[in-house]
Amino acid sequence: MKHFKNLMAHDTWVKPYLKRYKKLLFLSLFFGVLTAICAAALMFTSGYIIDRSATHPYNILMIYAAVVLTRAFGIGRPVFKYLERLRSHNWVLKVTSDLRRRLYHVLEKDAAFFEEHHRTGDILGILADDLGHLQNLYLRTVFPTIVGYLIGLLVIILLGSFDWRFGLLMLLLFFVEIFLIPLISVNVEGARRYHQKAINNALYVDLTDNVMGASDWVISGRHQDFIQRPKPALKQLRQSQLKSKHFGWTRDFILQIVFLGMAIALIIFTNLHLTGSQAQANFVSAFVLAIFPLSDAFIPISTGFDELPLYADSIQRLNDLAPKPRTLPAQQTLDPKDFQQLTLKQLQFEYDADSPVLIKDFNQTLKRGEKMAVLGPSGTGKTTLLQLILGDLTPQSGEILVNDTNVLALQNERAQLFSVLNQSPFLFNTSIMNNVRMGNEQASDAEVKAVLEKVQLKDLIESLPDKYDTVVEEAGNRFSGGERERIALARILLQDAPIVLLDEPTVGLDPITEQELLETFFKLLHDKTIVWITHHLQGIELVDQVVFLTEGDIEMQGKPNDLYQHNAHFKQLFEMDRG
Amino acid sequence: MIDKRLFKLPGLTLTLIWVTILTGIQGIAIICQAHFLTRALVNSWQMKPLATLTTAIILFGGAFLLRHVCVWLKNIILDHYADHTSNLLRDRLLDQVYVTGANQIAQTGTGKLVTVALDGINNVYNYFNLIFAKIFDMMIIPFLVIIYIYWQSVRSGIILTIVFPVVILFMIILGFAAQDKADRQYAGFIKLSNHFVDSLRGLATLKFLGLSKRYETNVYEVSEDYRRSTMDTLRIAILSTFALDWFTTLSIALLALFLGLALINGSMPLFPALVSLILAPEFFLPIRDFGNDYHATLDGKNALGDILDILDQPTIQNRELVSDSFHWDANSTLTANHFNLQYNPDNAYQIDLKDISFTLHGYQKVAIIGMSGSGKSTLLNTLGGFLTPMLKTQSQTDNFTLNGQALPHLSQANWQKQFSFIPQFPYLFADTIAANIKFYRPEATEAEVQAAVVKAGLADFVASLKDGLATKVGEGGRGISGGQAQRIALARAFLDQDRRILMFDEPTAHLDIETEYALKETMKPLFKDHLVLFATHRLHWLKEMDYVIVMKDGQIVQQGPVAELAQQPNGEFKALTEHMRKRVTL
Repeated sequence: MKHFKNLMAHDTWVKPYLKRYKKLLFLSLFFGVLTAICAAALMFTSGYIIDRSATHPYNILMIYAAVVLTRAFGIGRPVFKYLERLRSHNWVLKVTSDLRRRLYHVLEKDAAFFEEHHRTGDILGILADDLGHLQNLYLRTVFPTIVGYLIGLLVIILLGSFDWRFGLLMLLLFFVEIFLIPLISVNVEGARRYHQKAINNALYVDLTDNVMGASDWVISGRHQDFIQRPKPALKQLRQSQLKSKHFGWTRDFILQIVFLGMAIALIIFTNLHLTGSQAQANFVSAFVLAIFPLSDAFIPISTGFDELPLYADSIQRLNDLAPKPRTLPAQQTLDPKDFQQLTLKQLQFEYDADSPVLIKDFNQTLKRGEKMAVLGPSGTGKTTLLQLILGDLTPQSGEILVNDTNVLALQNERAQLFSVLNQSPFLFNTSIMNNVRMGNEQASDAEVKAVLEKVQLKDLIESLPDKYDTVVEEAGNRFSGGERERIALARILLQDAPIVLLDEPTVGLDPITEQELLETFFKLLHDKTIVWITHHLQGIELVDQVVFLTEGDIEMQGKPNDLYQHNAHFKQLFEMDRG
Repeated sequence: MIDKRLFKLPGLTLTLIWVTILTGIQGIAIICQAHFLTRALVNSWQMKPLATLTTAIILFGGAFLLRHVCVWLKNIILDHYADHTSNLLRDRLLDQVYVTGANQIAQTGTGKLVTVALDGINNVYNYFNLIFAKIFDMMIIPFLVIIYIYWQSVRSGIILTIVFPVVILFMIILGFAAQDKADRQYAGFIKLSNHFVDSLRGLATLKFLGLSKRYETNVYEVSEDYRRSTMDTLRIAILSTFALDWFTTLSIALLALFLGLALINGSMPLFPALVSLILAPEFFLPIRDFGNDYHATLDGKNALGDILDILDQPTIQNRELVSDSFHWDANSTLTANHFNLQYNPDNAYQIDLKDISFTLHGYQKVAIIGMSGSGKSTLLNTLGGFLTPMLKTQSQTDNFTLNGQALPHLSQANWQKQFSFIPQFPYLFADTIAANIKFYRPEATEAEVQAAVVKAGLADFVASLKDGLATKVGEGGRGISGGQAQRIALARAFLDQDRRILMFDEPTAHLDIETEYALKETMKPLFKDHLVLFATHRLHWLKEMDYVIVMKDGQIVQQGPVAELAQQPNGEFKALTEHMRKRVTL
């Protein structure tokens, strides 16, 4: 709880939004309160009708007003509840739109974050889910608590106005029911839920090992080990969950006892105060019966509180997102037509003081139209090199020059100067036409079709029922790996930047598809300057320069033909690759 | 409402008997609670002093507590059942995974299996906790309550009896019709909610294209579209709750009116009227609870269906046909006798492997080559026993002949103990490097592991690690490059020299050329005195092989010694290798 309080003190992702769309928020809470009031009032008027009728009034008109009210409250309760649910969802979703825009904005600013993301897995999916958790925080914890407190307050004021001592007693009971018990509950359960989350993660690892490694288990013949593997975590989890369950059941029972206390107090109160005359006594049932539907408003508060620790992680993660400001030199302009050469000058780079030097004293000059291939084992900084060229990372020393200008001073021009094609090109879940046109939004339909023809996709696309309007589906699933690369290639052809960076675009494809794709690439990009990261020698004859990186160093470098003639190791590799 | 297959699992009947008894007691307690509350209220209405209420208040309190004690006990019993049964389901699920292994995974998808085994089982656990209590409450409590009301006041009983089917009818018409509409809208709605993650993942691409700044507005607009469509869905989806509420509150209002009229014309005393009114909400409560939790139970219900479907799939029988004493050696032979195989038995037209036949013997080195999708991996998985061929007829079960013994499939425990399997991406367990290397032989000594580490070329790498062989790898552990992962898998094979068969599935296709070159040097010595089965499209491996099987469209189109196939001018082997080698010479 203390942790949660600290968190909320510095929070900028939850609190400020409670002030947004005030009217909508107010309406939704107002309807919530009205729902509870109608529920109580329905029982109140019904109870009154029965009691009043039992005195045999000579005319039905005597209860007419109450009958009308009963009907009104009877209709009011479902209607207000319906409206409340709609309003509250509407409010939450409006806030979600704002939060999404903000999250996008933050991530867009922070290029370094993406570097981090490449190393730590699917943080983006997690962050998107976090926004979903905030929705639940509002709907399941914040709103029910506010409505419950407002109702409690109304009841105390109402009863206190009859008799302040009785009001005080009810205040005490309410304090226990909707504040003390939820607070104890979150304190006891908070730590336990964290613990359970940790065990659950361990269990996830065990089960993944069992399923993903199923064939290895079978081969090993270790059937018993396989069965026993998740057992310790399961047992631990069950023990902890059972404690939670028992705590929850006991708590619910105590909540009911306190509620019983309220009901009995009301029975006694009405007997003491409303038995002066029959006219007063006719309200006895009304008061007592009205309290019962209110339990609907109080019980969810404890459950809502219990869930707080589950949201804490999400709130923490979002608040920890702070764009790291980068200092860039004054931005300049450069007409892409004037591009002459790309110079990598004495580049030196390491992520931080603790990690090894990835790029050491790297020099290379590429004239307009020249092509360079970069090879090396994973972890030798090939992708880092591309990020340095783009200016996403700042080298510790040395510089990258486009003509004579440092690339860091050309960040506004980047999309005009550089195109990037990586191993899983991202296609947006929209039509092929729209995806390709992202390369140049001014391009006409005819121009888009022309580039798609160049990348040899015309026949395929025109054979589809929706032709160029075919939706590529999530992450381009509609198409094969080779086809996705071709669509992305069409996109960068339209972008028409003088420098193209290829980051292992053909990894995972079979050699025939790979060779065809590479030939298309180099044919269509013949006038571009290319830096191509690759993992074997297929297509190596298509470039002017080859660089082999090893850990923090250049192992060999030169024209492919020269290397083949004069470098025994290169020759060995080349011979092997040919088969 | 409940999957009938559940009754085949143990423990349900006894649990349900207890739930029935406790729900019965709970129903009686609810009636007593209303009865004594009414008694107290009637006394107050008659303006009697507090002392006359004491007994009624105590009995009311007692009944109230008894009711909630019943709820508590039911929770304990159902939780016990839910835990027990969900564990049983998980065990059976894992057993199924173990026995049917890759076949199962190919059909269900790995990600889905893990999700089913963890989240799915959790959903089922919650479902068991909820569903029986809700259903039995709904079946028993209104029934007891209405009997009591009839006994007290036939008129109230009739009103409630008439309303009840109407409530259910409208709940079905409005609620489930709305649900149906909501379900249909759901697909489009998921699409919109995915858009956001989509745009986050595509942020890098948007930056490359210089569109990322302008896209911010788009993110907001799409999110607002999502909100509007969600609201449209919601308006209809929550109609079912609305209908339930509407009818219950209106019938209470109606009841109050009719009882009031009866009281005015003196045909009814206060007590039965008031007790009917107090019991009316209790009468509707179980069905309202059920309606409210309907959506919460859906996930669990679907998960249970998924799990039971997986468990219903046939498991592989006859896994122990090969004797314990079986060892592959220089004189062993394995023959495939014209077998067919399909991944999905429901799709009669899709045969994934057709008419496969060959004979392997001794320590042959066999390459399996072909384009992507030609069936190389499927064939290798069949030889590993992870996939089982179709039986030709019930009686003819000789898909394979192993040292003269006819076998329907190779999912034989003692056959599987004879090979090491090294896929393109070896799976590393969330454990130490040593434990991963010892996976086939957990009893191996430290010295043996060290020797295997050296042979697999891992010594330098291990020495560079602070914790050496005790370094944790796999999920949550240290990240390992593809080349190192291959070496760990090789060390596993080096360590267990009793396994005389090696199966490789594209082990180097994704590695960079230098790593591949180095790894090849490590692998060559391992081939000696082993039967090697090697699926690849990297042609340089052919030099190490002496027999080739060429696959195309799930069939073997050519097979024979490498030299022989290279001679055949119009063969598939020639065509394939030439196509793959096609490039400009330096």
